[in-house]
Amino acid sequence: MTNSTGPAAISATGLHKSFGATIAIDGIDLEVGTGAVFGLLGPDGAGKSTLIRMLATVLAPDSGTATVFGHSVNTERAAVTPRIGYMSQRFSMYPDLSVNENLEFFATIRGVPRAVRRRRAPELLASMGLAEFGDRQAQHLSGGMKQKLMLASTLMHSPDLLLLDEPTTGVDPVSRREFWRILAGLHREGTTVVVATPYMDEAERCTHIAFLDRGQITQSGTPEQIKAQVPGRLLEVICDQPRVALAAVNGLVGVESAHLLGDLVRVLWNAPTDASEPIRAALNAAGVSGEVRATSIDMETVFAYLAERPASQPVEAKS
Amino acid sequence: MNATFSRVGAIVIKEFKHLTRDPRTLAAVVILPVIQLLLFAFAISFNVDNVPTIVVDYDQTQTSRDYVRAYDGSTFFKVVSHGASNSEVDAAFDSNTASVAIIIPAGFERTINTGGQAQVGVLIDGSEPNSAKIAKAYSVALNQVYNQSMTAQWADSQGLDISGIGGLQPRLRTWYNPEQNSTIFLIPGLMAVIIAIVTVQQTAVTLVRERTLGTEEQLRVSPMRRVELMIGKLLPWTLIAFIDVALIVFLGMALFQVPLRGDPVVLALGAVLFVFASLGMGLLISAVAPSAETANIVALMVAFLPSFLLSGFAFPLSQIPVVLQGVSYLFPARFMVTISRGVFLKGSGLGELWPELLALAIYATVVVLVAAKLYGRKASR
Repeated sequence: MTNSTGPAAISATGLHKSFGATIAIDGIDLEVGTGAVFGLLGPDGAGKSTLIRMLATVLAPDSGTATVFGHSVNTERAAVTPRIGYMSQRFSMYPDLSVNENLEFFATIRGVPRAVRRRRAPELLASMGLAEFGDRQAQHLSGGMKQKLMLASTLMHSPDLLLLDEPTTGVDPVSRREFWRILAGLHREGTTVVVATPYMDEAERCTHIAFLDRGQITQSGTPEQIKAQVPGRLLEVICDQPRVALAAVNGLVGVESAHLLGDLVRVLWNAPTDASEPIRAALNAAGVSGEVRATSIDMETVFAYLAERPASQPVEAKS
Repeated sequence: MNATFSRVGAIVIKEFKHLTRDPRTLAAVVILPVIQLLLFAFAISFNVDNVPTIVVDYDQTQTSRDYVRAYDGSTFFKVVSHGASNSEVDAAFDSNTASVAIIIPAGFERTINTGGQAQVGVLIDGSEPNSAKIAKAYSVALNQVYNQSMTAQWADSQGLDISGIGGLQPRLRTWYNPEQNSTIFLIPGLMAVIIAIVTVQQTAVTLVRERTLGTEEQLRVSPMRRVELMIGKLLPWTLIAFIDVALIVFLGMALFQVPLRGDPVVLALGAVLFVFASLGMGLLISAVAPSAETANIVALMVAFLPSFLLSGFAFPLSQIPVVLQGVSYLFPARFMVTISRGVFLKGSGLGELWPELLALAIYATVVVLVAAKLYGRKASR
């Protein structure tokens, strides 16, 4: 499905960027293969936007280099911008212009020929379910529709690389799923996608992910590679007193970590022995009756685990 | 080149769409100048009408009465009382019942009839210097009209400089405005002030707006050059400002009988260059202003104060301090006021006004280029 062996869509080394005293990007090396769906994960303020804006040529790095399809984002902007589509985190269309007018304007200044604009705009709007909203002013669109309009606008000139800065933040779950369905389609057509997101579940949809924290990439690889770093198995405890249950299992030998997830207690079990018996015993001792079942490791757990780990991992301990 | 045209065209079309979607702005840029013109033209008047005048006629002859009638017959003076002696003049000035006194000495008629130079005393209350100056000028003009062979003796009652009083030459500007109608004199200058206010204000917020909307980043990932953006932003406003110019010229001529004595093409050329310079100044503010509010305030200051005070609109430039005269060259209004008055009132053409036109052209080019430069620097942060 992925074609990450092709020429690198993005290659960056030693990127640094500070805003005054704040260090936003603190030495980032990055390689994104052509055709990848590359997820940039991390909490707010981790540097995701800054990294994407530098790759989009909107922001100049203080030091370090980055190339997009072999062209420097610093010195060859004119060669880079025609091949990229950049979608900023904030809605950045003209609110008083209609959907069609926004598409027309941005495509025109992008140099898309009139014939292509006429053909592609309705196509894109139809594929995003915006066909009947062409004449609506952008300010009167819903949040999800606004994001889709922006995506459509970045696709008008058929870019080879999409740089999307938190395109699904603040969007309802249905629209989020739909947005990812569109991205999956673009991925199938061979477009390289770099997408920043604070949602761990979206990482599952990426072919590659990198986790950003305080301006540095702390983890990167395919989702499978990242998951493989988590030892053991994941168990769920279903019970009526999850807080009591959490306290009961937390100290057990073999429990790597335990978290609350809604009404569930999720336990990462890292021991060669079967987990069910000791956990049940601990629950009984605490006076809680519950059920234990195995579940697959998800990104939420992975990053919760990895975020706790650095103290015991000197390699990652730099801040 | 083709690509440049289509990009600039796209910006122009977009800007017009913004305008049509925002009726308030549209109204502001078309109706406001008209209101400003009417307001300023009626409110700021240096005209002196019906100045209360006291006459002390020691001659009491037919000639002296004719002379007084000449004053009373004009719209500038209104003879409110006749006094028997000079002391009544003091009383009238003190009680503010009169601000001009005309004192005709005994033997007035005899002197004129024998072909001599008759002496007339004109006293003006100098406590209101502007009115005093103008009343003086009127009186001089009147004397000229009444009788070329007459000299007037001047005295100001309250500390007005009387050193230059011997001369009977009317003030220079009277040549182009013999009725001393200050509205005619004002409107050509007012045009420059109004255009400055409308244009600087509008472009000052336009780039800030792109920044706050976030659309600036989308513009920056396009191949569009900054100068193309600047020009695309300038063109629609040039057209609108030009409509304003036409409106003001039309109203000035139709409503206030301002004569258009010179070449309208030179006026139009000057207006275009001035509009470009003013818009460029707005862009310059917009390129560096951190917020729309700041841009607005700075624009108002830059557009309003210099075009009012440092353009020759309200005060002759030769009468302001030398330092401020130098500062006045930093603002395009002074050139436009000269061009506008030259064309309207003096009938000047390209031959006389080319230095001002050239100055405006240079000014506009430099300002737009600097704005493009600064805009880029701001955006890279």
